[in-house]
Parts: sequence; C-alpha cells; structure tokens
Amino acid sequence: MTSPTLEVTALCKSFGSVRANHDVTFSVDAGELLCLFGENGAGKSTLSACLTGLYRPDSGEIALEGTPLRLSSAADAIRHGIGLVHQHFVLVPDFTVLENIVVGSETGLFVDFASAEARLRQICESYGIDIDPNARVEDLSVGEQQWAELLKALYFDAKLLILDEPTATLDVEGSKKLFRIIDKLKADGVAIILITHFLEEVMQADRVAVLRQGAVVGIKKTAETSPEELTRMMVGRDLKRQTRQSTPMGTARLALESVTVEGLGERPDLDDISFCVHEGEIFGIAGVAGNGQRPLMEVIAGVRKPKSGIISLDDTVISSKGVHAIKSMGLGHIPEDRFAEGLVRDFSIEENLILGEHRGTFAKGGLLDFRKMAQNAKRLIAEFSIAAPSGETLVGNLSGGNAQRVILAREMQLASKVLLANQPTRGLDVGVIDYIHQCLFNKKAEGVAVVIASSELEDLIALCDRIGVLFQGRLMGIVDARKTNLEEIGLLMAGHALETAV
Amino acid sequence: MIEITRRQTVGYRARIVAYLLALVMGFACTSLLIWLSGASVMEGFSALFEGAFGSEEAMLQSLVAATPLIFTGLATVIAYRAEIWSIGQEGQMFAGAMSGYFASLYLGGAPMVVAVPVIILAAMIGGALLGMLCGWLKSRFAVNEIISTVMLNYVIVYFLSYLLAGGPWTAEGSTSYHQTALLADNFRLPLIVSDVKLHIGFLLAILATVLCWGILKFTPFGFEIRALGANPTALRFKGVNVARTILIVMAVSGALSALAGVSEIFGVNYRLKGDVLTGLGFTGIIVGMIGGLNPFGALIAALLFGALENGSLYMSVLSDIPPALVPAMQGILLLFFLSASVIVRYRVRIRRASYV
Repeated sequence: MTSPTLEVTALCKSFGSVRANHDVTFSVDAGELLCLFGENGAGKSTLSACLTGLYRPDSGEIALEGTPLRLSSAADAIRHGIGLVHQHFVLVPDFTVLENIVVGSETGLFVDFASAEARLRQICESYGIDIDPNARVEDLSVGEQQWAELLKALYFDAKLLILDEPTATLDVEGSKKLFRIIDKLKADGVAIILITHFLEEVMQADRVAVLRQGAVVGIKKTAETSPEELTRMMVGRDLKRQTRQSTPMGTARLALESVTVEGLGERPDLDDISFCVHEGEIFGIAGVAGNGQRPLMEVIAGVRKPKSGIISLDDTVISSKGVHAIKSMGLGHIPEDRFAEGLVRDFSIEENLILGEHRGTFAKGGLLDFRKMAQNAKRLIAEFSIAAPSGETLVGNLSGGNAQRVILAREMQLASKVLLANQPTRGLDVGVIDYIHQCLFNKKAEGVAVVIASSELEDLIALCDRIGVLFQGRLMGIVDARKTNLEEIGLLMAGHALETAV
Repeated sequence: MIEITRRQTVGYRARIVAYLLALVMGFACTSLLIWLSGASVMEGFSALFEGAFGSEEAMLQSLVAATPLIFTGLATVIAYRAEIWSIGQEGQMFAGAMSGYFASLYLGGAPMVVAVPVIILAAMIGGALLGMLCGWLKSRFAVNEIISTVMLNYVIVYFLSYLLAGGPWTAEGSTSYHQTALLADNFRLPLIVSDVKLHIGFLLAILATVLCWGILKFTPFGFEIRALGANPTALRFKGVNVARTILIVMAVSGALSALAGVSEIFGVNYRLKGDVLTGLGFTGIIVGMIGGLNPFGALIAALLFGALENGSLYMSVLSDIPPALVPAMQGILLLFFLSASVIVRYRVRIRRASYV
C-alpha cells in the first residue's frame, strides 16, 4: 500500500500555557476530502498553520507521501506541494491577480509573465473559474478575491490543498462551484483538507476529523455518521435547538417613522423606513448584505443621525439624542464587526466591559474604580462563561466566540428596553450561537424589544416573531415569522414586493 | 537554525537589558564616528562624561538641560498614546514662549507671585490653542495632523522671526541679535539652585510626569486616550465624543510643549529669542519614543538627553570633536532604542533543526 499524501502523528503546539493542538494524529489520502470540524478556538487554524509552515509544531511529525517534513516557511510548504487558501485574504490590493500569484514565489531574477499568464488562464478554464488575471485585486469583489486565493494554490500544482473556511465569503452559488472544483481536484488525485464549521459542507467530505480543545476527538466516515453525532462530538454535549416561545407581546416600545438616512452616493442608505417593535418581541431584519442593515442599527443606536423621520423609545423621541443618552435609556447594541466596532483589542476584558461606562458607573472621585471593574469582570466572566484566564486577559487574545461573549456581557446589561444585534452569530460555532439565541430569548421574556439582523434566514424564522426585509435601503415588507417561508423572504430580499405582507 | 518567536509578555528585566545594550551599541557606533573624524575617542567621551556628571554643578546643569525635554517628551507621550502623530511640539513650544512673553508685556510691575503664574498660564493657553487648532482640523476636516503640525511649526517660528527682526518685540538697538530686551526680575522663574539656574520649571516637569502617568493609568480621560489610540471606532460606538477627546488631547499636548518654552525663556535665558529653543520640540519626540510612550520612560530619556546635551558643550570646548556629532549621536541612540523596543518582543533561539 502506498503512503497517504499527508500523515500527521502526535502533533503538539502550545502558545504559552494555552494548548492549541495536542497529540493530533490523522492522515489524508490522495484524492480524498477530509474535513476538519470544530468550534472556534478548537485549534483548526493553528493546525493548518503548522501544516503550511507558518508555525512550527512543538513536537510530533508531519509526513508528506511517506517522507518526514520540516517546514521552515510558507514558501517551503509551497515548494513541497502544500497549498493553503486562507480564511483571511493575503493578497496585495494594488497588484493584479497574476502579480499576486507570481511575485515572490517564482524563483530566478526575472519573471516570465507571459507564460505565467497563459498557464493561469489555462487553469481558470479547466476549473471553470471566471476571473481576469490582469484585474487588480482591489477592484475584485470579496467573492472574487476568494477565487484569486484559490488560484494561487492551484497554480503551484498542490498535492495537498488546505481550505480554511473558504465558503465564509461565498454565496450559495459560489459554494456549489467550489465543491465542483473540489471534486475535479479529487479526481486529479489531490488530497484536500477542508476546515469549516458548516455542517452541510462537512457532510460532503469523505471523512471528518472532529477537533475539540486542540485534540482530535474522533475521525468518522461521513457515510457512517450524522450531523447530530458530529455536533455532539464537537460540543461535547447534546444541543437542543432553540425555538421561539410564545411570550405575549406588549405595547409598542421602539418605533421608527419615515426614517431616511443619507448615503454617500445618490441613493439614501435608508429610505423612508417605518416599523415598530413591541415589548417582548423579537423583530428580525433580513436582506442581502449591504442593503441597509448596518445603517438601520446605527441610526437607532444614535451612531448615525437620520436626515428625516422620527425614532422613539417608549414615546420619547431618541433620534435627536446622542449615543450615550440613548444607551442610558436602556438600549444595548451588538455591532456587526466585533473587533472593529465592539471591542478594543489591546484592552483587557475588564476594560472592554466598562467601555462607555468609564465616566459613569465605574468612576469614583474622578478616577477609575479598579475594584469595581475587577468585580464586574469576575461576575460577567462567570455569568457569560467567557473562557479566559482572568479579567486582565487582552481581548485580542480571545477567540471570536469568547470576544462576542464579552460584547454580549456588556450590552445585555444595558439592554433593559431595547437590544440591537447585528449579525451576532456570524462566524461562530453552534455552541456559541445556541448561547446567544438563549440570551435573546431571555431578553424577550423580560419584555425587551429585540431587533436582530442576520444572514441566517433559518435562524431568523426560528427566532423572530416578525421579520422585516430590506432591499436597497427600503423596507420591502414585514412578514409573520410563523407563517412565512424561505421563498417568500427570498423574493422580498431580491426586491419583489409582496401583496400579502403583514 | 535560528528561530524567532513572539513573546507573550515582556518582563521589565528583559526591557532594561535590551535598553542598556542599545545604549552601549549606540555609544560604540558613536565611537566609530569620532574615530573617523580623527579625534580621540577616549578624550571625547571623558570630556562628555565630565561635562554631564563630573561634578555636582555639572549634574545640576544636566537637569537644567533636561527640563524642556521632559515637557516636550510628555507632550509626545500624551499625543502618541492616542495615536495622534503630532510633530507640533516645536511650534507649540514657540507659541508658549511667545504667549508667555506677550502676557509679560502687560504685567508691568506686578509682583513675582502674580506675574510668574500668569505667564505660565498664558503660555499654556497659547500652546494649547495651537494644538487644538490641529486637533480641530483633524476631527472636522480630516486634515492629517502630521501635515498641519509641521506646517504650523514654520508659521510660528517665522512669525517670531518677524517679531524679533525689527518687529515690535525687537530690543532697542539690538536688531541684529534677533532678541527681545532682558526680562525684568519679577518675570523670571524662581531658582532652586541659583549658581546653575536650576529653576522651578524642573519641579514642574517632575510634577507633570507624575500627573501624566496618573492620568493615563487611573482616570476615565486616560482610559479614553488609550482607547482612542487603540480603536476610535469602538469608542464612537459607545457614545464617546471622539472629536472632543482629540481636541483635549491636543490641548494637553500643546500646553505641555508650551511649558518647555517657558522654562527655557523665563527660567534660563531671560530673553525671548528663537535659537535657544530650536530643536527642543523635535528632540522631545525622540525622548517620548525612546521612553516607550510612558511618562516615566520619557522622564528617564529626557534626563539622558539633557546630560548628553550638557556634556556635549563641554566636549566641544575640551576636545577636537565637532559639536555636530551630538545630534548624530542622538539619532544613533534613537535607532538603537527603537530597534531594542521591537526586538525585545521576540525570543531568538538558536537550536538544532529538529523538533521530533
């Protein structure tokens, strides 16, 4: 029997006291698709970094086609035929696709662009990737950049291809196309490792290695397992899917009347939006990304000002107030981009938890009240199960899920009347998603008006009482989540008005 | 194989070792320069040391030279911690000295206990206003603070030139000296040690250091400064008026720079002229950076640079070493210190190429 394309034996990698990978053993054969499945922070990305020379393992062995490998750099990995498609793009925006692929990786003094371009075009054609090698990366859409990343790996004839969360930036069509390409690569004898936490994708693999807390907890053939079993293995316990509870709704709490927000161009970011959210109601916002979800949340929170229209909270007009004043009335806001808008990476958990309240609750006699800060952090870390050594841990060192829990802990406290959550579960694993949904339900039970924007339509239908659909800054309609279906919402999202809107 | 990994945390000991090494390497490079210039290295360094630390008087003189650098260094720390890259310490220092002088023109025969505080206050207001102008341009019109501060440096310095080169502030009969008349006694900063002109500005500088440290570490405003530097968007999302914070940071930074101008003019020279101030603002940037943007770090760096400045005077008199080597030496030290501050964050290990 021939050796597998990749064989990893007892690989360990720690960062300080954190064990990112512990005793990881698995193999991938030529023409096989292996999926690495695990929660955020389970060690998937560290493992891929070890396999592609970005990190050096502390111990253990990596063998490629039976030969032990010691990779010293990413370029070294490419030379050995290991390609990586990053979760975060590593493309130079000013360069063309071709330059990005060729420069820095070709040997020799001069680069033969003509032949490189011919080769690239040929790869594009054979895999059905429609991208102009001479287009500048900054002019490409996010989805197209993902293809450019993939091309980079294909260009070097990889024997082993590692795809780190490749579908995060692709739409449904793009994901299908990606799996068609994967099938072709498999037929060509390439071994592929797919890192993901989407169950649908996992089930398309040949085998699945489930990671939990840095260790492989099991390797299964997909034909012999089920999504439920895999989820159980990943989380380490059973998960019950949250569904809407029928709490009676009270009076209108948050109301928007003809709210218009100016955009950069001709089209306003929000165009004449009117709706209201009741006490104990979860109101969903659906829409293709960039159709006004962000301006809507920001204008309610006071981060942006409306050009016209009125927003009121419990009959008090808030559209003329500032962020701080609105927040003090009992509004919590979970922003879309947790590290860019919600947190200060270089600050500790303690400090992030008092952001915005540093002049109020947590100041005493003109100084910060460090004792209160520490107590507050200790309590919230326990209450929201934030996995961190202490309150002094820098937020930048936390995984996405734990970082989101920090924001959640801070904003849930403020949200005594209204909670805004913009894509609160994006990029998180089912364990955290489940937890966040539970938090939203708790708020609902307390009579808080909850507004949640999400790209996960199925979640919205399961969570919300009503769903408003945005298209190009306009509210296309509001549907009853109990009576609607994906098709109806899909049509609204594409800009088709419905007559039966509630 | 040489392996470089990032350290999780950097201990104080590692830092101190790194900075001491940087100091040694900096002096080694300077020795090379001195040797190339044909002078005697030993002679040069012993003169430098003699001038800086050789006697009680020399040491006190070094403190006098360090005083304005502490202020401009602190001005750098406050602005840069908020990631406002102001290069305006020089101009704000000039503005401070000029505002202080302007105030003194109206203070006539006021007693010292009134005149000096008023002069200091006027100077701080002048520096703060100039700083706020750049802060306002930044937050209102998104004018890059590096450009606005550098340009305003020129405006202020040339405005002083106009005032002194035959303009209204020129001392009678001394047009060619470009200076004001000697300040009256009641305008001069009180001296702690009169022989060497160690004035109360030095005590103010120490006080300012402690205050800056305390503000950054213990107050909500310091919290905002640090958050502004790390992520202004998150601050804005939590309802902090970022434009106002920028204005206040620039005002504080400008007021600190202004104090450097006051100490030099009202504490040491007793007349307003440009050339005694030139460069103290820019050196303050180096001091702040070498101090790791920490107020006490800046204090130590300022004391070192004050000693260098003071010793270099002695060195240029006693040896053949060209005085121009002193700024070169400061530059070399800056490079080594900045390198050390980056390198200390990494662990370099040499080991056999195997991890199995």
